[in-house]
Amino acid sequence: MECIITIELGTNGIRVFAYDLRGGIIASMKGHYTTFHTEPDHSEQDPEQIFITTLFVLKNILNEHIHPKKYKVASICFCASMHSVLAVDKHGNPIGNAITWADNRAKKEAQELRHSLPGKKLYEITGTPIHPMSPLLKIAWIGHHDAKRFNNTSKYLSIKSYVIHQLTGEYMIDYSIASATGMLNIHTIRWEDDALDYAGITADQLATLVPVFTKAGKLKKAYQQSLRLPADTKILIGSSDGCMATLGDGIKKGEPKASITIEDSGAVRVMGPTVLKDEQMRFFNYLLVDNCYVSGGPTNNGGNIFEWFTRQFGEFTNPFDIESSMQQLLEEVVNVPIGSDGLLFLPYLLGERAPIWNANARGAYFGLNIKHERRHFIRATIEGILYEIYSIGKTLSEQRSTNSLSLNGSFGTIPFCSQLVADIFSKPVEVRQHFHSVSYGAYLLSATEMGIYPSLDDAAPAVDAPDIFKPTAAHHAIYADYFGIFEKLSNKLSDEFEAIGNLQQKYAHPIK
Amino acid sequence: MNQFVLQHGKSAEMLHFPHILELGMKKNGFIQQNTFPTTAMVGLRIYHIIEGRFEWRINHQLYVFYPGDVALIMPHTPFGCDNDVLKIGSFSWIHLALKKQDGYILPGKWSGLSEVEAAAIGKILYLNNQPILSRFEEAGRIIKCIYTELSEMEVAYQARVNHQVDELLIQITRKMTRQTHSTRDFPKTFTQLEVLLRQDLAHQWTVEEMAGLVGMGTTLFTEKVKSYSGFSPINYLINIRISEAIKLLKRADISVTDIALDTGFYSSQHFSTTFKKLTGYRPSEFRKNHLRNI
Repeated sequence: MECIITIELGTNGIRVFAYDLRGGIIASMKGHYTTFHTEPDHSEQDPEQIFITTLFVLKNILNEHIHPKKYKVASICFCASMHSVLAVDKHGNPIGNAITWADNRAKKEAQELRHSLPGKKLYEITGTPIHPMSPLLKIAWIGHHDAKRFNNTSKYLSIKSYVIHQLTGEYMIDYSIASATGMLNIHTIRWEDDALDYAGITADQLATLVPVFTKAGKLKKAYQQSLRLPADTKILIGSSDGCMATLGDGIKKGEPKASITIEDSGAVRVMGPTVLKDEQMRFFNYLLVDNCYVSGGPTNNGGNIFEWFTRQFGEFTNPFDIESSMQQLLEEVVNVPIGSDGLLFLPYLLGERAPIWNANARGAYFGLNIKHERRHFIRATIEGILYEIYSIGKTLSEQRSTNSLSLNGSFGTIPFCSQLVADIFSKPVEVRQHFHSVSYGAYLLSATEMGIYPSLDDAAPAVDAPDIFKPTAAHHAIYADYFGIFEKLSNKLSDEFEAIGNLQQKYAHPIK
Repeated sequence: MNQFVLQHGKSAEMLHFPHILELGMKKNGFIQQNTFPTTAMVGLRIYHIIEGRFEWRINHQLYVFYPGDVALIMPHTPFGCDNDVLKIGSFSWIHLALKKQDGYILPGKWSGLSEVEAAAIGKILYLNNQPILSRFEEAGRIIKCIYTELSEMEVAYQARVNHQVDELLIQITRKMTRQTHSTRDFPKTFTQLEVLLRQDLAHQWTVEEMAGLVGMGTTLFTEKVKSYSGFSPINYLINIRISEAIKLLKRADISVTDIALDTGFYSSQHFSTTFKKLTGYRPSEFRKNHLRNI
């Protein structure tokens, strides 16, 4: 009996799944690692902690579920969150912590480049929006502000490349993660000289560029022993979480269907043979395999905003029990009319990426009247988060038409939210409950590499039959009315967003 | 309650309580110069505001106290008013002779706390950096009760005074952790805990101490950590220890034995076995592999 192991190096931790060859889950385990905010705008993780956590969880799942049942590990496939940067010296040892996608230190660099002609050109070539999340800008920031790190760096790696280098000694980066660095020409699949010049580095300071199906070397002997795995265990470089969520959701190249993820943050994605061109630079275009691009827009404000609301206004009958507090709030909104009796919420508590790309954006409740009650706020908050998802979908549909949606992520798959998405978009929504689409995407990739599926396009239909949420026309009409105002406010308030953002910074109290 | 000051070594009532350095209550009816000079003392000082509004400087930082608030002054920390002038109002206080040693502030033999619980409390007190506990009437009640016991000396009063001092330490510690950690945000609480653990990795942390630091019982803490992180608290701690050890092994300037002790393993053997079990390498092998050009 053979099995496929997938390892997802996510934002908050690692998830390891073991699948049988037909895609059934044998076991899964997770391990958390911490994000440190040593300074405002900084988000960092300890690379050794990530590596050790990976080893620990992998070892546990093998010892508890795989070896006792005599499974043979056919392959171990990696996927990871995008945009991370880790500098290492000539011995391959980290210089400082890994910088995560959420790190905003390169704000100033991003603002300058975004509004310049070279910036526009780089966006078209690399498919990565000009934003502090982009490794291109993070490396430029290191060059401008951290000379010691800059001068001692032999290579800039992604977190996944580092973990794989620890295990096998190879320096590799796959097309998907590379296409999210802001330095890869996604049309020629080569590192782009203009981007390297801007970052101040050379191509040999990056890992070797390889397709997502590439074997990333052999496990070092010590790890073969401690994990009890044979020397020929296949280690697949794999892809990025964004591309894998889209694939794992059963999206096929060129199909008129979008995949929506709503976890802490969220994204709307489509897959096709060409890139989305956008004068306003609102979309990303990442590469999965040759001539296959995952395109879309990310939002900063997803389930984490509802969590924020719950922390402030939930009951918390049990200490630290956010799940049941959120559940209680959700039970209260069922009796609030659709559209929350005209209370609107702009969810920009963390600034916003797509579609407005405004780091200064801030949240607001609008339309309050004396009849509004606490329960209206709860529903308005959820509606606002989903209006924002819809506004990304709407801008995408200017270029790609979609007839249906596939929805994943812990917040999106709450049935109440899934129905709202169907009604707001006026499209049927497919949901697979308790289904981890990122890991499943990595399974499909591994199975395709093994020849179980002839190609990724053939793998997509293998995804299980979903629950379908059908839109209700009457509901959609109400949401469409309110969304009109939501959209106007988002754009109209941009001067005031900036003004309030600046004041918030001006009068900020240092964190004690 | 009238004004009073009882001091160990001066007041007869205090004879059997060497761990209580001073107990007092002051009503300040008018403002006068040089009534409250800044001092730094050996023990732990606890002041409870009864009425008035006081501006006190603790460790060079100015804090404002209102009725019901408690000022907590750690051993050897400067405490006083600007210009040494005391404002109008009243407050009670107690000074306790607690020892600051090896990263703990420990109660002495008089305490009824078990060793494990005393260590957890001692660790939390030691790491505390908030001199203000707001709306904490309980502290005032306990100080008053101790004073009554000392004045009336009813049967078994010694035991009762010591119980009350224990009670005060327990309540202060609980209040402190509740004030630092909202019971609504486990991820944030957990991150704060990890930062504390990493600051003092050489320490032999127990689950009781870790749970105490974030104001939780051990059962709830263990369950929460497991569901949130995927690991038991001790395994999570081992992960941090090994991560930190790897970082140090990659530098040539520190011996393997020192790394073991710095990262909280009780011996280099213990370090070596734990390290090899997880990574397949002995620490020295691991170091050799990483110091040559790969």
